[in-house]
Amino acid sequence: MASLFKDPAKLSAYRDRRFPGTQEEFEHALQTSVTVYIGNMSFYTTEEQVYELFTRAGEIKKIIMGLDKNSKTPCGFCFVLYYSREDTEDAVKYISGTILDDRPIRVDFDWGFQEGRQWGRGRSGGQAWTVLSVSIDMFQQFFPQNLLLWADSLIPQKFIRLFFFCHFPGFSDFLNKVIRRGGYGKLVQKELEAQRQLVDYGTGSLGSFPPIMPPQFGRQGGPGHGGSHRQGRDFHRKRFRDDDRHARGEPPKRAYEQEPRRNSDPESRPEKNPRFRESGDSDEEDDEKKGKA
Amino acid sequence: MSSWRTLLLRIGNKCPEYGGSADVKEHIETCYGVVRRELEHSAGDISNFLIECAEGLPHKIPLLGTVIGLLNLENEDFVKGIVETTQTRFQEALDSGNCDRIRVLMRFLTALMCSKVLQPASLAVVFETLLSSAATTVDEEKGNPSWQARGDFFVTCILSCLPWGGSELAEQVPEEMERVMVGVEAYLSIRSHNADTGLSFFEEDDDLSAGEKDFLEDLWDRIKFLSSNGWKADSVPRPHLAFEAQLVGGKAHEFGPINAPEQPEPLSQLSGVTYGREKHNAELRYPQRIRRLNIFPTGKNEDMQPVDRFIVEEYLLDVLLFLNGCRKECASNMVGLPVPFRYEYLMAETLFAQLLLLPQPPFRPLYYTLVIMDLCKALPGAFPAVVAGAVRALFEKIADLDMECRNRLILWFSHHLSNFQFIWPWEEWAYVLDLPKWAPQRVFVQEVLEREVRLSYWEKIKQSIENTPALEELLPPKGSPNFKYSVEDGREKTEYHAISAELSNKVKGRATAREVITWIEETVLPAHGFESTLSVIVQTLLDIGSKSFTHLITVLERYGQVITRLCPDLDNQILLIAEVSSYWENSTQMTALAIDRMMGYRLLSNLAIIKWVFSPPNIEQFHISDRPWEILGNAISKTYNRMSDLRKEVVSLKKNVLVAEEAAARAKAELDAAESKLTLMNGEPVMGDNPVKMKRLKSHADKAKEEEESVRDSLDAKEALLARATVENEELFLALYKNFSNVLKERLPDASKAQTLRDLKSSTQADEMAVDTDQPSTMEVDDENGGTKKSQSNGESGSSNVYNIGEKEQWCLSTLGYIKSFSRQYASEVWSHIEKLDAEVLTQDVHPLFRRAVYSGLRRPIIELASE
Repeated sequence: MASLFKDPAKLSAYRDRRFPGTQEEFEHALQTSVTVYIGNMSFYTTEEQVYELFTRAGEIKKIIMGLDKNSKTPCGFCFVLYYSREDTEDAVKYISGTILDDRPIRVDFDWGFQEGRQWGRGRSGGQAWTVLSVSIDMFQQFFPQNLLLWADSLIPQKFIRLFFFCHFPGFSDFLNKVIRRGGYGKLVQKELEAQRQLVDYGTGSLGSFPPIMPPQFGRQGGPGHGGSHRQGRDFHRKRFRDDDRHARGEPPKRAYEQEPRRNSDPESRPEKNPRFRESGDSDEEDDEKKGKA
Repeated sequence: MSSWRTLLLRIGNKCPEYGGSADVKEHIETCYGVVRRELEHSAGDISNFLIECAEGLPHKIPLLGTVIGLLNLENEDFVKGIVETTQTRFQEALDSGNCDRIRVLMRFLTALMCSKVLQPASLAVVFETLLSSAATTVDEEKGNPSWQARGDFFVTCILSCLPWGGSELAEQVPEEMERVMVGVEAYLSIRSHNADTGLSFFEEDDDLSAGEKDFLEDLWDRIKFLSSNGWKADSVPRPHLAFEAQLVGGKAHEFGPINAPEQPEPLSQLSGVTYGREKHNAELRYPQRIRRLNIFPTGKNEDMQPVDRFIVEEYLLDVLLFLNGCRKECASNMVGLPVPFRYEYLMAETLFAQLLLLPQPPFRPLYYTLVIMDLCKALPGAFPAVVAGAVRALFEKIADLDMECRNRLILWFSHHLSNFQFIWPWEEWAYVLDLPKWAPQRVFVQEVLEREVRLSYWEKIKQSIENTPALEELLPPKGSPNFKYSVEDGREKTEYHAISAELSNKVKGRATAREVITWIEETVLPAHGFESTLSVIVQTLLDIGSKSFTHLITVLERYGQVITRLCPDLDNQILLIAEVSSYWENSTQMTALAIDRMMGYRLLSNLAIIKWVFSPPNIEQFHISDRPWEILGNAISKTYNRMSDLRKEVVSLKKNVLVAEEAAARAKAELDAAESKLTLMNGEPVMGDNPVKMKRLKSHADKAKEEEESVRDSLDAKEALLARATVENEELFLALYKNFSNVLKERLPDASKAQTLRDLKSSTQADEMAVDTDQPSTMEVDDENGGTKKSQSNGESGSSNVYNIGEKEQWCLSTLGYIKSFSRQYASEVWSHIEKLDAEVLTQDVHPLFRRAVYSGLRRPIIELASE
């Protein structure tokens, strides 16, 4: 009877500007969607952590990490796709507002992932409102205890950031100075580096979402050309980018999505990310396969 | 929301809508005053909303009942309408078996009776109707005792009403009341005791439960006590008493007759497979709501009468049920129940009892996790300590805790701690390090840490146990891959490293799966043989996909065929799993995840997974790690999920077929009608409507027919898939039970020596006396490790730092625990294949402990055991 207190039709206060349809279509999409949007994550949260938490609401079909347009590293949001609607609803009901990796995350129904939505929409490449301010992870290193208190009190991180932004307008400049001089920041970097790695989706032999990825010029360059805030964030990225692309001499990237053209008939292709693919549903060379064991 | 709605919704809450007042009488007057004024314009809305509030906020029913009683003085017809609507809804709930609605509406009727809206005799008739239905059900000749769950449910509902209106009934219709009480007594004497076998939280209870009271017997005792106490219960507000003088002036309405649902078909036999299967189904439809956990000393609830406990549990369960999905409302209603005593212990116990409820709780464990977190925040001074107390109590008894419950506890605890900065007094549990590695407490700590690491990261968890550094020993390894053909660390390079590098380059160069297969078949396989080839190819592909879950999926999506080609049958698939397990030996999560996805892509069959889990290295882990069980559990649940997806799809397709059939028939009828119509065409009468319309109707009819056929085709296709999945499922369960039976046969002591779990446990001591087995005796532990004494004083109880069950026995206990747990979780599936299982696995010579584990998981009557 939750309906006594909640308008069940109102599933998300957030209206995606980029949804290509009417308000009704948008609401319908939300009501039937098996995708959730997860926001306010730490940049360091990995897919496996997301998997461990969200799998408790049901079997997961797919995880799509939100990436910074420029650096191709996680920037605090992701999408999780389930196989069933009930699981999706449970994820929203029971996980939103709880802590993942020391941060209260928000979980909302999403109208459905489409190619391109994994990129942060902020001007400097990250997720829009995150970019407004310096990364929370940064603060965590400087003010660990205060932050924990806040995290516990469930004040949206947004406000914490705003708070910092309003109260310490020169803070990011300060940060940059520290970083450049290799002061405390350097120590912090080192420690973080020892502890955690940021997955870099731009490198490695299987770039997961390269189709509309621009060539990664300038990745080897110094701290960015964006605003000073972004430098604060890039600062992390740089530390944890394991540049194996270089080491392994990866050839220039080609759009990975080109491949499906080879067997382009969508009907004949086996299901992607199946919960359990049908036994007959095997790949092309089925007929050549040996008989059943 | 208009104000009368808010007032109804918030009645009884201390809130701004009521000016912050907590006086219930004032609330009722205010609310009544406002609602009365609105009656003229929105009677229909008010009536519906009142019933909705009663159904959704059952703990406010007495207040709502009183408001309705006052409205009855004002507008008889309006209230008559409410009574009639309630009756319709109640009948519908009975017909559809909607347990929650039946229960809550009966309480609502009771409150209406208290407010003089409903004639007491009418309520008594409802009770008697249900009572007689219940009595018929358990009658061996006229009824079907396998459906006792339904009879018990009805009688529970009747008894549940009495705290709310027993005193009024006894006063106003003493004869009818007496008849009901006698009827209940009689029902209790003919039904059979409902043993908790297979569903109790603690293993030892299974042996004892025969002598204990079951839920209904216990409730009956509480109600009898209440009755002897003049029907006074502190936890039930009686707001109508304050308005008694006015209310008596109202007209009491009659409640039309209701019909109990039809009796199930009688059974020819009172035992055997059919009986067991029906009993299983009945218990699924009419589940017992709660099973008491009893983890706190009884003194914690001393202010309460016996019946108060039942009432508070009802309130809490109703809040959990109806306010699911509304975090704030749920938490504030949980802490704000209308009772005059503290109940945090009872609240914690009820929550844990739900979290651990077998076979499954009404909601996902995740929900209770959230509620517990919210309550810890809502009552920061009181609740966290109670939760910690519950954890300690459960930890003390972890060796006896049911396997399924233990697993839920591990998941809950790790998740809970992850929301509270991983703070826990680990030093209390440091003594587990002195226990043998199979001691359940030690394994529990190890598995909690494993889950914590998965939710967070290794260093963080290491930091969280800083004040008990010894526990680091129980941390999982850092989860990095173990790549045999890594070129980075300057190890000696073999020819396999070269192959690996070549494959890596091919992948980077976007070679197709077919190209890779050709390369393997022409170059690698002939030169290196199957096993080496498999190892290098699989390890390299895993390494390419090792960065994240998505990388793994991408590589499987692209190069799955390579693996299929290499591992077409069960035996090579087992080697494949071994390779996965070796690559990810440092990360249980990634091992399980990779195997799970490979099964999804059918690179691995579930049978291969079972066979691998029951291979010697894994069997050795059964009692000391959850790793093999997680993988086994995933394989079964994936198969099962697929089945339930297919079943749902078939059901919805069947509906679509009906719709399409109707549409086709309608279109056909329209066409026929038009064809048979005479139309004047150019002055001539011709058969058929005008040609344009005819053409349209024709094409419409054809399309509808086509649509019907296509839906029917897809239904046929799905049904074929379902049939195939059912066969697969049967194979899976047969293989599972055969493997269990075999491994247990090799390890269980002779059946003549171990008939019960207690025999099994006590056989340890005997063993120890006879031979000095490989497990060190407790004395030796003390000698080697001076820390024992210290940790003993650290541990609060101090009683637990000796674990005297031997390794072999613990292995058997853990394995039997999992058999029971799997059987219970998939009981419906197992029941549907039971004949085959009986014939092939559960034969005469099967070990009694194995049989017992399976039977109790299925809640299959033990009578059959005795007769054999």
